[in-house]
Amino acid sequence: MDFLEGNLELRERQRLEGHTDRVWSLAWNPATGVCGIPAMLASCSGDKTVRIWQQGPSGSWDCSAVLEDNHTRTVRSCAWSPSGKLLATASFDATTAIWECVGGDFECVATLEGHENEVKSVSWDASGSLLATCGRDKTVWIWEMQPGNEFECVSVLQGHTQDVKMVQWHPFMEVLVSVSYDNSVKIWAEDGDSDDWHCVQTLNEASSGHTSTVWAVSFNSNGDRMATCSDDLTLKIWDTSAKASETSGSSCGSWVTQYSFYLDLFCDARDKRRHLCTISGYHDRTIFSVNWSRDGVIASGAADDAIRLFFESKDNSVDVPSYKLLLKKEKAHDMDVKLSAMESKGT
Amino acid sequence: MEPKASDTDDFLESTVLLDEAQYEEGFKDGYNDGLGLGKEEGREVGLKLGFQVGEELGFYRGCVDVWSSAIRVDPGAFSARLRKSIEQLGELVDKYPLSEPENEQVQEMMNTMRLKFRVISAMLGVRLEYEGYPKSSETDVVDF
Repeated sequence: MDFLEGNLELRERQRLEGHTDRVWSLAWNPATGVCGIPAMLASCSGDKTVRIWQQGPSGSWDCSAVLEDNHTRTVRSCAWSPSGKLLATASFDATTAIWECVGGDFECVATLEGHENEVKSVSWDASGSLLATCGRDKTVWIWEMQPGNEFECVSVLQGHTQDVKMVQWHPFMEVLVSVSYDNSVKIWAEDGDSDDWHCVQTLNEASSGHTSTVWAVSFNSNGDRMATCSDDLTLKIWDTSAKASETSGSSCGSWVTQYSFYLDLFCDARDKRRHLCTISGYHDRTIFSVNWSRDGVIASGAADDAIRLFFESKDNSVDVPSYKLLLKKEKAHDMDVKLSAMESKGT
Repeated sequence: MEPKASDTDDFLESTVLLDEAQYEEGFKDGYNDGLGLGKEEGREVGLKLGFQVGEELGFYRGCVDVWSSAIRVDPGAFSARLRKSIEQLGELVDKYPLSEPENEQVQEMMNTMRLKFRVISAMLGVRLEYEGYPKSSETDVVDF
């Protein structure tokens, strides 16, 4: 599909109603929607519950489960494990709950405590064995899943000087990205295998980064690009590909190829990411969410209730990629529009 | 060679330099008073800070000792990662330079210990604190 040709339209397929307070986030179950398995979606809300929606044979969506009586405050974020068997829900009540799907019913199998206050985001790594959470207490926590659905705290990462809004793992490398109210994006990696996690790079104003709160981050499916969105009204695209560094005298001998699964050399993770381009002039209100679809479309959700879609334009003569606005859907929702895989949600 | 001051100059000198002499005497008095007061205040601040540091270190030492005893009784009840973390916290407490309050690294060492303690607390699933335990965040407005 060539997105740059012709008129594109974003049409609302169905409005999912049920939550009694604002919906903060949603997540598609990665093990569904393929091979005849009906697509499954989880949404989390200020009403302290998480709702599971499934697409029926007629194509319409129904609420198949409500995860309630667990969190005592807003559920801010949710994420499915890569296998689709577990759902992590992060809440303002400072806990993260892990739910297991057992024959259509969801059971809370673990509760991760440790954050001092509101947890803002949760993310599973590609292997499904590591979980990252972040919150208003300025820390990022890394947890490792043990046999029997037990979770052990691996590390608490300090570095951000303000509320951390979102964490996201690289699609296949064990590298974690966090974004914060302190305007910076931090990259975290492990030193060898010793549970010693460090901030290997900080993308701030000096590195052509954002000049206000960074709200979200999204990798493309290849993992060689990353998009961040901010209160400074811009989207920034970063090059996150694993390629040889220009600096000579580096002690790192061999370089890990882009498609390798484990980042063995600690120094490979350092200073790898650089600013590629800034998409500005399209938003006049805070951009709360950004999502990069499998087909390469970047969707943004902003405080002006609109969803905008961007795609990389190929017809440019400069080395740096540039992005074109494909369409803008006004009045799509109330604030905090969050998109995943080309479908959207709101309040 | 300059001529020495004669006697006629000396008796006038003390009158002429009177206010300067008075100033110097006043300054000396004030300085000495200040030395005394400052030392007293410094002592109070030092005692207070020293107590806080000692209290926190002692708290970690106590926790590590209890946990280490529990590990000796039943090592299997604790995961390898947990045992290692408790050991590391114990080492950090030992390494803290108690007699070097002006060592620049003490703040960082304290932060490392607090972080390690939080990780262990999370792993054990306990919430241990004492009155006056330093918290990293202040209560403020809830945002998005």
